Amino acid sequence: MYWHILKKDLKRKKTMNIILLLFVLLAAMFIASGASNMVTIFSALDNYFEMAGVPSRGLIFNDTDNRDKYRDFANSNNYDFQFHEMISVSVDDIKVDGKKLDFSNIICIETLENPLKVFDSRDNEITTVNEGEIYITSSMFYSEKNNFKTGCNVQITANGKTRDFTLKDYAKNAIYSPAMSGLAKILVSQKDYDYLKSGSSGLLWECSVYTDDEGYNTKISKAGFSSMVRIDYDGIKLMYILDVISAAAVLLVSICIILISMVMLRFTINFTMSEEFREIGVMKAIGIRNGGIRLLYLVKYFAISVIGATAGFILSIPFGNILLQNISKNIIVSGNVNYMLNLLLAVSTVFIVVLFCYFCTRNINKISPVSAIRNGGTGERYAKKGFINLWKSRLAPVFFMALNDILSKPGRYVSMAVVFTLGILLVIVPVNTINTFSSDSIIELFGMAKCDHVISQELFSQKDNFGIESVKENIDSLKKELNKNNIDAMVFQEIVFKAGILYNGRKMEVMAGQGNGDIDDGMYAYIEGTPPANPGEIAISNVVAKETGAGIGDDAEVNIGNITKTYIVTAVFQSMQNTGQSIRIYHNEDTGSETPAGVLGIQVRYNDKPGSNLLADRMKLLETLYPDDKVYDAGGYIASMTGNVAEQIGNVKNFILGIVFCINILVTVLMAKSFITKEKGGIAVLKAIGFKNIQLACWQTLRILIILFISFVLGILLSTPFSQLLITPIFRMMGAYSIEFNVNALEVYLLYPLAIFAVTSFAAFISSQGVRKIQVSQASNIE
Amino acid sequence: MDTILEVRNLCKTYVINKRQNNVLKNVNFSINTGDMTAIMGASGSGKSTLLYSVSGMDNITAGEVKFCGNDISGMDENQLAKLRLDRMGFIFQQMYMMKNLSILDNIILPACQSHKIKEKHSETAERGRDLMRKLGISDIADNDINEVSGGQLQRACICRGIINKPDIVFADEPTGALDRTASGEVMEELVRINNEGTTIMLVTHDVRVAARCTRLLYIADGNIEGEYNLGRYNGSTKLRERERQVSNWLMEMGW
Repeated sequence: MYWHILKKDLKRKKTMNIILLLFVLLAAMFIASGASNMVTIFSALDNYFEMAGVPSRGLIFNDTDNRDKYRDFANSNNYDFQFHEMISVSVDDIKVDGKKLDFSNIICIETLENPLKVFDSRDNEITTVNEGEIYITSSMFYSEKNNFKTGCNVQITANGKTRDFTLKDYAKNAIYSPAMSGLAKILVSQKDYDYLKSGSSGLLWECSVYTDDEGYNTKISKAGFSSMVRIDYDGIKLMYILDVISAAAVLLVSICIILISMVMLRFTINFTMSEEFREIGVMKAIGIRNGGIRLLYLVKYFAISVIGATAGFILSIPFGNILLQNISKNIIVSGNVNYMLNLLLAVSTVFIVVLFCYFCTRNINKISPVSAIRNGGTGERYAKKGFINLWKSRLAPVFFMALNDILSKPGRYVSMAVVFTLGILLVIVPVNTINTFSSDSIIELFGMAKCDHVISQELFSQKDNFGIESVKENIDSLKKELNKNNIDAMVFQEIVFKAGILYNGRKMEVMAGQGNGDIDDGMYAYIEGTPPANPGEIAISNVVAKETGAGIGDDAEVNIGNITKTYIVTAVFQSMQNTGQSIRIYHNEDTGSETPAGVLGIQVRYNDKPGSNLLADRMKLLETLYPDDKVYDAGGYIASMTGNVAEQIGNVKNFILGIVFCINILVTVLMAKSFITKEKGGIAVLKAIGFKNIQLACWQTLRILIILFISFVLGILLSTPFSQLLITPIFRMMGAYSIEFNVNALEVYLLYPLAIFAVTSFAAFISSQGVRKIQVSQASNIE
Repeated sequence: MDTILEVRNLCKTYVINKRQNNVLKNVNFSINTGDMTAIMGASGSGKSTLLYSVSGMDNITAGEVKFCGNDISGMDENQLAKLRLDRMGFIFQQMYMMKNLSILDNIILPACQSHKIKEKHSETAERGRDLMRKLGISDIADNDINEVSGGQLQRACICRGIINKPDIVFADEPTGALDRTASGEVMEELVRINNEGTTIMLVTHDVRVAARCTRLLYIADGNIEGEYNLGRYNGSTKLRERERQVSNWLMEMGW
């Protein structure tokens, strides 16, 4: 009998059951692939690092003095280390199929001498490179605009010598493949390398250190030398954060879909029970027990969830692989994918759905045969009128009825509002994150002062005469050029030193920043305290404050180069540079070190507050003044430094937007169909008294649109706290503890809500055409 | 007298599970302006189908239905909706009203939707209140629909049916769900409306309801089998006699 009833029900509520099935399928597919991908990425990263032989420490030196000092230091500490040489080239020295390379990272040419193993696109270790062939790091291969293809021609010029190469494949490099690393490598044969090398000009030395010495940081800080790049194992792992963010976003979407599925299930069960109120009463009257009736529903939802979860599990495998495709550009994931986990999670989905269904059908116990017969078909004996009146309002009856329906029975629309609100939140959160990452104010989170333009000078610190004096000359030269063009601007440049800070016995290796040029320490952003205003004063990052325990007013010992001085902490700031391990030295402080570890871009802040057109003209001027360098606005400069985080989150956002469209369509169709089924009598009577189909469809659509509008308002109001809750922990991992999200009003309040609104309204209007199927004559058969 | 409704060779066929069911077979009749016509017949004889077919609520299979000289069988859904809104009134056995609206809002809903009478919602409400006063239900204007009795609700449905001053009111067993007293009250109101000039066509099983009508049509097996003219009902004194006449006629027709 159960099978017979079930078959009839599945046929009768076809659309509703199909939509529920789709929700279970989506939930199973997303949760299985999302969670499985998270586990895969984490396990694959460790396996990959082991396969590649990632060192515990990595350093790159651009001068022989510091290189040799470090060699002595490593020898004296009995560290296992290996140096290898690289040639540094500029983007202008590389042409791809005759076109100039468009890439912002530092580029190095090296051979297979590097102890770090690299792998090709098929995950095979690259053991030989033939003469005339090259491999390039995957971040460079997949960089936009360059259109790299295997077999394409790459012309490299180094030290005045040019050679043409064929691109063999891309190389997965555990340290330099992530876009955030800021450095890319070209792998050439030993013969080609020897040809391009010329003496010691433009050479870099990379050192891979294998040690588990816990005192390494303290020792290296005392040793006092500088390197161009200094990274450790955890730092390398952190560079894969974007891959983890993508997987986490899928997992977050999965959790939301499960939540939405539950909300929909609850709505469907309540709807079905109210529709079958009389049947339930009759079943009870003829002696079927509560358990038996509940079993009927449980069997149905069990069948739906088993079919949905099975399909979800099957689809989770190709879907998971698609998601992993992007990640596998940088990581070797093959062999780490565990389909058992997918299966386990799909089975859990069935269990959760059935359990939830069991709780939702509790109301069956409350229905008595008498109430079922006396209270009519739906059990809704008492309906409450709304608190607004048609005769008092000026609204058209159709709009009034839509509004009045919601106001008189708000509980009926809660499920829909929850889903729509979650949908808009899922879109706004990544939009806010992208806008925050691409805004000009993000520069302050990287320890730099606000500015209009930045000239990126990656190779400036590699020049022979590089030092504080050359930085000053660099600034003066630009100032003169700007003056010539009658541009009143402040020009400054951030120099960074490798430093150690000691407070209360706790020592930490940090990056010390110092402004040069037309800069005042008050131009930087601080969380608390007053900016350093005198020599002997410093500001520390909140990460340093937390690690060392130093606070405002405390004296801390700072070691830069060979000089150690005591400084008073006057302010605390937040910075994502060097994952928050940084301090700021007063701009007129004499650190005693003439050789900084490096410089950031040269910054220009115009005093006449130019408009966008003038800014564009001035950018062109700067580009002509610095033909070898790249000129950015502040947001663009950070994007180039971080490997275009915003662009990658943008891809995640587009994916989520697609999912939200699908969910909204499904929910709208389900709800609209349910409402029409339930209001069949009312619709027939309205038709009888002269309402046209289009007016009734508008009534049904308007109700959904009003809920959508309310959800948008709710979503927009909740978006900032929600963004803080979800995204702040990621920023925190990178060193920024308190983020003020940059909300682009046009996108957040108009563009995305409008897009979702358009898709949902279309779905609502199409679904509401179901009113056409209701015959006017049905008005005579209303219960 | 003008003919308001003219039905010629009306046929209505339902096809259920490939089986053809001819519910109405070449039905011919006409209704004059000001008539109060009752359609009577056994269950399943096609009374309600006839009512819905001639009022444009249901499609017809063949034939012609002329309302005020216009053939409504060729009209599209929008034209029929406009006709129902502005020129026809409907009363159903089940007294269905929109649950979330007050009684008064339910009554004025068709008037607010129609552009037949140009007025503000508040003016429409005043007309609605007037009608409620006439039908003796002015005290329930702001009530929920579940706060009133069946008789009151049906009178409210009558108010809704006539708020747009229709040319004709169609009523499908308007007293079918009411007790004897409430039924009598509702019928008195319908007679009063008819006496004010509104044509009424109703379907009923009830002899007491039929006795208040001016003319009876008997339908059997999808055809009009008989017609009986009772004349206008003028007061309660003659009702018993009219009921007896109707009963006798129905017996003759094989009721």
